[in-house]
Parts: sequence; C-alpha cells; structure tokens
Amino acid sequence: MAAPLRAEAPRAGAGYVPADLDERGLWMQAEEYERELKHSAFVMRDPALNAYVREVFCKTVGQAECKDVRIYLMRTPYFNASMAPNGLMQVYSGLFLRVRDEAQMAAILGHEYTHYRNRHSVLLYRNAKKNFGAAAFLGGFGLFGSLIQLGMIGSVFSFSRENEAEADSGSIPMLAQAGYDPHAAGEVWQQLRAEMDATALARKKKSRKDKTGGMFATHPPSAERMTALKALADKQTLPGATDNRRAQFIAALKPFWADFVDDQVKLNDFGGTEFLLESLSKEGWTPDLLYARGELYRARGAPDDLAKAAGFYREALTRPEAPVEAQRGLGLALLRAGSVSEGRAALKTYLEKRPDAPDRAMIAMLAGG
Amino acid sequence: MHKTKKVALALLVSAGLIGSAAVLAAGRLKPAGVAVAVARSGLTVTPDRAWSKGARPGRLSESWTLDGLSINELTFYGGIADNTTLFREVSKSERPLPRFSKTMLMPDIVQLFESSYRVALTTPLFTVDSVEPAPFAGTDGFRFTYSFAVADEVKRKGEARGAIIGGKLYMVTYEAPRIHYYDRDYASFVKIAESARIVAVKK
Repeated sequence: MAAPLRAEAPRAGAGYVPADLDERGLWMQAEEYERELKHSAFVMRDPALNAYVREVFCKTVGQAECKDVRIYLMRTPYFNASMAPNGLMQVYSGLFLRVRDEAQMAAILGHEYTHYRNRHSVLLYRNAKKNFGAAAFLGGFGLFGSLIQLGMIGSVFSFSRENEAEADSGSIPMLAQAGYDPHAAGEVWQQLRAEMDATALARKKKSRKDKTGGMFATHPPSAERMTALKALADKQTLPGATDNRRAQFIAALKPFWADFVDDQVKLNDFGGTEFLLESLSKEGWTPDLLYARGELYRARGAPDDLAKAAGFYREALTRPEAPVEAQRGLGLALLRAGSVSEGRAALKTYLEKRPDAPDRAMIAMLAGG
Repeated sequence: MHKTKKVALALLVSAGLIGSAAVLAAGRLKPAGVAVAVARSGLTVTPDRAWSKGARPGRLSESWTLDGLSINELTFYGGIADNTTLFREVSKSERPLPRFSKTMLMPDIVQLFESSYRVALTTPLFTVDSVEPAPFAGTDGFRFTYSFAVADEVKRKGEARGAIIGGKLYMVTYEAPRIHYYDRDYASFVKIAESARIVAVKK
C-alpha cells in the first residue's frame, strides 16, 4: 500500500514539478493527451464561453492558483469535469445543463481543483498500478476512456472516500470566499441524484445513485456526502452577502442551450431528459424548451407521447420566437398519430418557413406535394 | 486518439477490442457478380466487386469492408423488427439504445439512426446532411446522408438507403473517411444498394 500523501505533502499548482517516477509518467501521459486535445473536434472553442468558465474558475480558486491551469470545454453530453495532474482541466458540456447557477458550477470546479492541488491522481495511480496495472489507468485518460470502458473505469477511477471528502471540504471555503452560498455544492449533487432516480424510473430500473460507474464514474454522490456537505456549508463563515449569479450564468450559456439540449434529447434517456427540461424551465417553459420536450416525447413515440408532443409544439408555436422546427415536429407527430390533413398542413408551413431545409425532399413528399 | 483506434461501429458494438485485422482474417470474401443473402435475412444484394465480410453488429445486421472497417464499411440491416434495436447494445442498463417501431415514418428512422449512433459511439458530433425519398428493393424508401466523428477524430461521411417493408426495416449504409476514401468506393455502394431485393426466406 503506498503511503498516503500527508497534509504537509507538496501541493500541485504554479511552479510545482512532479516528484518521482510515477508522477513524471503521469505528467507525460497528460501532456501527450493535451497535445491531441489542441486539435480535437470535440473541444468547444467559443471565446466568450471559454472566458466565462475561466473567470468563474479563477474567482473560485484564486487568481494566483488559476493562472497555470488550462481549461478545455468538451462537447460531450454527460456530467463530468476532471483535472489531470499537469494542470489540464476538462469540463463536459453536459455539466452546463446540470448546474443551475454560477455557484453550482464553481462548486464542481473547486472540487476538481482540490483533487488536483492535493495530487489525488498520484495516489489513485499508485493504487491502480498495484491492482490493475498501469495501462488500465493511463488508457482511461481523457475523453472517451471513462465512457467507453465504463465498467473498468468505475473501479479504477474511483477516488477514495477520503479523497472525495477532502475535495468536497476544499470547495466549501472557496465558494464562500468567492461570494457564493457554499450550500451550492450539496445542491448540485442532490440534483444529480434526483436525475439518476428519474432516469432509472423511466427505464424501470433501480437507481444507481449510490453506485460508482455510469454518470458518476469518479464521484458517487452518496447520501452520506450530501449530509457532510450540508454540515460544512452550515458551519462556513461568510465574508459578506452571497450571490449565486443565476442570471449571469443563464446569460452566458444562452447561445449554447439549444445545442446542448439537442445533444441530451438524442441520448435516449427519457426520464433524465424530462427531469433536466423541467429544472431548466424553472422560470417558465420557453419555446425552445417546449420544442425540445416535443422532440423527446415524439422520439419515444407511444400514441400518448405523440399527442403530448403535438401539445408541446403547439404551445411553443403560440410565441413569435418559436423555432421553425416546431412546425416540422408538429406535422410529424400528427401524421404518425393518424391526423393526416392537419399533419400535412403543419409540414407545408414548415417548408414555407424553411425553404432550404436539409430534409426538404422527404418532408415535401410527406406533406403531399 | 488513445488505444481504441478502431472505432468503426461494427467493432465497437461487437463488444470489444477485437482489432479489424482479426475480423478480416475471419471474414469470407463475397465475390463480384453473385447475388448473396445478407444479415441472415431475405435481403439479397449483388456486389460489383469482392467485399470481405466484417462483423455482425447485431442479430440481423452484417458489415462488409474492402480495406478494413475504419476505411470503408457497408452495413446491412435485414428486417429489424418492431421494438428491437438496430444493433447490439453495449450496455443495456447504462446506455440502452432506442428501438425501431413499425409505426415510424421515414424521418423517424433517420432520428432513430442518429440517436443509436450517438449513444453507441458516445459522440455528439453527428449531423444529418440530407433526407429524401428514394426507391429501395423495388418499393418506396428513403435515402439520407450524414457526417460524424468518433474518438479517433477522423471525419467520416455516410449514406443510408432503405425502406420499411412488411413492418420491418431493411437498410444498407456506407461509411468512410471524408477525405479520399468516401468518394473512392461510393460507386460500389450505390451498385450494391441498387441491387437490393427481398426474397422469401424459409423458416
């Protein structure tokens, strides 16, 4: 058993160099991976969104600590964020759909940063090497390892309970210092647990919220952790009034919602997606969210679903800012449900409004010419 | 990207990390000019040149290749039945695939295909480029084109042609890297797809 890092062990961060062979090996792997990431089609390079995430991260961990960290935003519709030992951070697009304000996003970034600063991956690597061989660990670096090899990674990549507790407790004072309510940390895990319940319920399966693997390959959000996080947040002294900056978060993410929601709807996770759409509609159902809900129900396609989908599209279409695709969805839902003339009319309207539609020829045929 | 270089669909869903060389070695050659039944079904095609049989992504599907599945891949779907998936599920509990329904309209097939790919290949980089009606196996069918990328970061294009016949989905897809290979072997795919017919199968 490798000796655990003690409290006085050196912290990663600006100017830190890897201490031994294991750690140098990890850095080399991470650096090679980062070179590939620089050209990856999965990285979202929008300057405004990158600047926003970086700003929240630096505000949370401190300007001096953040300056050497490189953040990559990954177009991947699952909940995850991770940090490699060399200071490479990855944030998945699925995270943005699952946090509700800036404070919750900051909680995750602060949590990951604590894993990094306390060099938890080195401990993890030493344990993994002993139990599984180094290849299993190194192969899991990056984008897809954790998704493709779910089963294996679930066991290799679980930080120890102590390391998770350390990362949780590290994030609480960061949130307070940055002016956020530290209860945000517990809330985000609570929401993720509720989402897992919703996914499981719709699939008629047992919820995996207390298991590793799946959505939480590295961070099982156990009930015990929720309680501990709440207790820490209750005890935390605050420097002043808090602001979780929901409005700013929503404004920064607005240009990306439609794409992120579309990625989610196409995951064939009815329960989880319905849960997320409902939580996104806290301030009311926007036409975009209604359209997404229509698409979700239409994709499941039971007779009852088609009727509901038509209702959601119709409601979206009562607003001037409704996406034109809602006409397409409405037409297809009605046609499939057997309402031929109404369905054709909606498809004709869609083609009038979107003459350059990529599926024009097919829709025109269904619309009856 | 890292070790899972072979990311062709058939390889991924045939569970595992079997290299394409091994699959090819096991594959039998489908000679040119001879009609052959594919995907354990009545779907019958006549290839214009010899293709090798690759993998079986599902019970009623079958892949062929010329140079390896990551270079060029034909996949035949031989009568996917109501309430079944297009190909084998990698993880039924964690990442179940959407299911075909005999009530689906042709645009719903495109959506089913896109969602199946996104889930099975864990990629959000999938776009449908065109959808149009087109005859298939002597009946009214569809043709759609798409682009996608998976973990190896190679930009691929694909085309599907098929039809719902007797409540079952019959389809042929062709995929290859956008640069060079897609155009090079496209004509062979078109000949194979145009030769498709459904013959009665003795049960």
